[in-house]
Amino acid sequence: MKNIKTRKSLAALVVTALVTTLAVAIPSSAQATTCSKASFTSAGKSVSYQKCTGTDWQGAKYEIRMPSKFNGMLYLYNHGIRGNHNMPKIPIIRPNGYVVDMSVEIAPGRTAADQEFIAQELLKQGYALAASGISTQGWSVPEAVNNNLQLIVEARSKFPKINKIVSWGDSLGGAISQSLSEKFDVIDAAANLHMAGSANSQFTYAGDFMWLFKTFFDPTIKAHGYSSGDAGKAEYFGDITKVLTAFGAIQAAIRANPQTPAWPATSMVPDTMKAIPVRSAVLLIGLLSGVPVQSNTYDASSGPAGPLETSFGLAISPALGVLENGFTAAATALIGNYDAEIKCGGTIFDNTATDYAARLGDNGDVYAAGLTGKASAAGMLSWLNKLNPAAPRVKGTPAAVNCITNEQSAYSGAVTIPTITVSQTADQVTPAGFIQKFKELYEENVASGSAKPGMLLNIWNKPPDTYTKFDAVGSPITPVIPTTGTSHFMYTNADLLIIAKMLANAGKTGKLPSLATAKSAIKKNKNMFIDPDFKPELMFADR
Amino acid sequence: MKRFSIVSAVVALGAMVFTALPAQAADPGLTSKEIKLGISTPLTGTAALSYGKVPGAMKAYFDHINANGGVYGRKIKLIVRDDKYLPTLAATQTTNLVLKDGVFALVAALGTATHSKAYAAASLAKKKVPDLFVNTGFSGFGNRTKYPTTFTVLPSYAMEAKIISKFVKDKFPGQAVALVAQDDEFGVDGVNGFAAGSLTLASKTLYPQSSMTDARAKALVTGLSAIPGKPVVILFGTTDVTALIFKAAESLNLVSKFTWIAGSVGGDANTLLALGVKPATIDGAIAASFFPDAKDTTDEYVKEFSKINAKYNPGVSFDNVVLQGMNSAMLTVQALRAAGKNLTRTGLMKAIENKGAKFASAALVPLNYSPTSHIGYNGYWMGQLNAKGELKPFGGTLSVVTTDSTTGPITPSTFKRQSIPKNGIPTNS
Repeated sequence: MKNIKTRKSLAALVVTALVTTLAVAIPSSAQATTCSKASFTSAGKSVSYQKCTGTDWQGAKYEIRMPSKFNGMLYLYNHGIRGNHNMPKIPIIRPNGYVVDMSVEIAPGRTAADQEFIAQELLKQGYALAASGISTQGWSVPEAVNNNLQLIVEARSKFPKINKIVSWGDSLGGAISQSLSEKFDVIDAAANLHMAGSANSQFTYAGDFMWLFKTFFDPTIKAHGYSSGDAGKAEYFGDITKVLTAFGAIQAAIRANPQTPAWPATSMVPDTMKAIPVRSAVLLIGLLSGVPVQSNTYDASSGPAGPLETSFGLAISPALGVLENGFTAAATALIGNYDAEIKCGGTIFDNTATDYAARLGDNGDVYAAGLTGKASAAGMLSWLNKLNPAAPRVKGTPAAVNCITNEQSAYSGAVTIPTITVSQTADQVTPAGFIQKFKELYEENVASGSAKPGMLLNIWNKPPDTYTKFDAVGSPITPVIPTTGTSHFMYTNADLLIIAKMLANAGKTGKLPSLATAKSAIKKNKNMFIDPDFKPELMFADR
Repeated sequence: MKRFSIVSAVVALGAMVFTALPAQAADPGLTSKEIKLGISTPLTGTAALSYGKVPGAMKAYFDHINANGGVYGRKIKLIVRDDKYLPTLAATQTTNLVLKDGVFALVAALGTATHSKAYAAASLAKKKVPDLFVNTGFSGFGNRTKYPTTFTVLPSYAMEAKIISKFVKDKFPGQAVALVAQDDEFGVDGVNGFAAGSLTLASKTLYPQSSMTDARAKALVTGLSAIPGKPVVILFGTTDVTALIFKAAESLNLVSKFTWIAGSVGGDANTLLALGVKPATIDGAIAASFFPDAKDTTDEYVKEFSKINAKYNPGVSFDNVVLQGMNSAMLTVQALRAAGKNLTRTGLMKAIENKGAKFASAALVPLNYSPTSHIGYNGYWMGQLNAKGELKPFGGTLSVVTTDSTTGPITPSTFKRQSIPKNGIPTNS
């Protein structure tokens, strides 16, 4: 019944959505979809499919792959956030420069080859695939939802045998997938991989990190309130260089003297505070913004064999975890924030009322050693006090703050179809707290009758118990393949196929697997777990 | 016949319905033959030097109970996970105990920062996992809103600090007092206790855990030596730090300059000697305890536990840590027995609340469990170490006092310890 209704109303939904939620010019018509035959060989057998491409009304490229032996179900995929502005060559962050990428990713995967592998595995089983490159990059949930709707219309029009659609997405794509499934009755089941939080929560996380970082390490970093036009772009690129410089200085200081590393020369904190090892300030930034203490390299526990083993694991490793995570978080924060300020027309972050001291809470005790004691933590917190003129707070532009808070977030937890989330417990880009918030929103919606009970399954992926490795001289070794459970790390192909299977079954039956079935499905991955009682800490904007 | 048939059919149907009803699911970690318990504690790393013997001692005692029929026929299996005394790893290992190992209850988790992080990370409150006899004196674990399933056993650091305060004021009037404490929940709990005990401090040094080095210890002792007279120095940290400071005083030839008081966490003589502190240095040092001294072979608990240790924990010397581990294990067995044959997590916690104050125990101070309190022991006696590492009552007379973690008075204890159950095997119900 649902699909009949959907088919009848979809075109109207698209039009309504475009008119009501987008203030963009709509070209007169979509570019025609062109299809060609394609095939691949798997286990000696040829699998043929149609590959259709086109561009939607808003200029988003899309792709549909339809196997010759179609089983009626379409997987609709959304990729994660991408930069929305070209960038020159910037060491480490963009060594080859960056031109805004509008391409289509047809399925999740760590690499293009992995994505193709997942696509072929699903095509082999008779599933169709579709994805939009999205009409604009950066934080683009409202736009992407409409791109998806247009793609669904096109796919159904071209292939009327589509009777089930399941949606999946990665990171921001997860938020798009969720938003689409909540807002429009066009999806039968959803799987959201390390799903982003609300725009407000994501940008508060980013904003807090950058403000704390600049306040401790380089107050000349602008971070917020960029000027318009080329001047703003220059400030933005300047910030990237300054942040890189400060990170490099801290990293070098810790490498030279892990116990008592010096502060970067760009820091303007008083000398009394500089007596505290800079690693403690790094750890404090992480704890006050929500950056995980476990990262790709650092497990917040292990130390090199020898006299430093315990103290490294206790006091140094958590700080290095924040530093490693913070680098990615800072890069994402700068890139995302710059674009969001342009999109929303002003400063989107406001910490004039934030009580950072109150945020430390129990972590002040748990990480007392890493913070060089409670007294040192109190000293650093006093520098962050809003009455300190040397640490001026950021005043947001009301309209821009409203834009982020109310116009750029689209999911509410009103889940009415089987929905699976898969997230890392130590993800520095979309920390686990975002999913906890989503879960709580869902529970509130169930209580109020606007969501169906039993429709949300949260699967978690945690790091190994310990994993930091050290070389012969005691230096930590950064893994070539990112550590599972950390690093906004894309799941393995095996994991993705398990999730895809669960998603397909949920789409077919309208039900989630039982807990026992779901646990059995993931049991080969020792780091994945399902525990309805697991409760990661909420991000600060969500408390 | 017809009537009979209908009745038979009804009875049969009833029987079918009855048998088709699912049996009430047992709590995790429980079968008719086994009770699975878990402990997260340091087995490696610096803290293991002091506390690494706890799980072995507990296991030995459980083996003794298992060899004598277990608890209502169930054998106790203790699963041990090494957290190295590190908060993040403790959170991981406690989660592993609950989710992977499926333990029925946690016992004797060690450490303040470690266990407070682990408690939240493993969702112990939401899962209603009994968290028995935690090896930390942080008074915050007595907060039943935050830690509803936790039962403390050690007297709190705040109680200890209050009692030491009174002791110092009574026994060393006019002597300047210096406090050296760890700068975290543990140390600050003590600092608050010293404040509540109105002890005037000439010097207060707070240091982050794991930050003390030989050089820092020497600088600290040198600084303290500038205090005129024979200052009382209270060391309120872990044993490894006590050892560093003692050794610094040795190398500076300043041991006799001070009256040393080591808190219960950092005052284990065996560990200090094992860490290279000279017997002459600990000779005369003052320490607080709520147990009999582990070297006091006239004590019936020490005697019985020593026998069990020799049989089930061969090669491990009996000391205060082993005594503490065995005592926690014996409390656990009594709690399991008190919960009855139909064991549940909720029933276990209720049993401790209702009957725990009457459990037999080696301690010389009472247990304070009740439906409104999850707080274990509440007092101390002050003693003086000799060169052999024996703790003897200060002044020759045992004087046990009790108090609370806030502003309550310090009063002489009237507690009379129960005899140890025959062969160390509880028979309570």
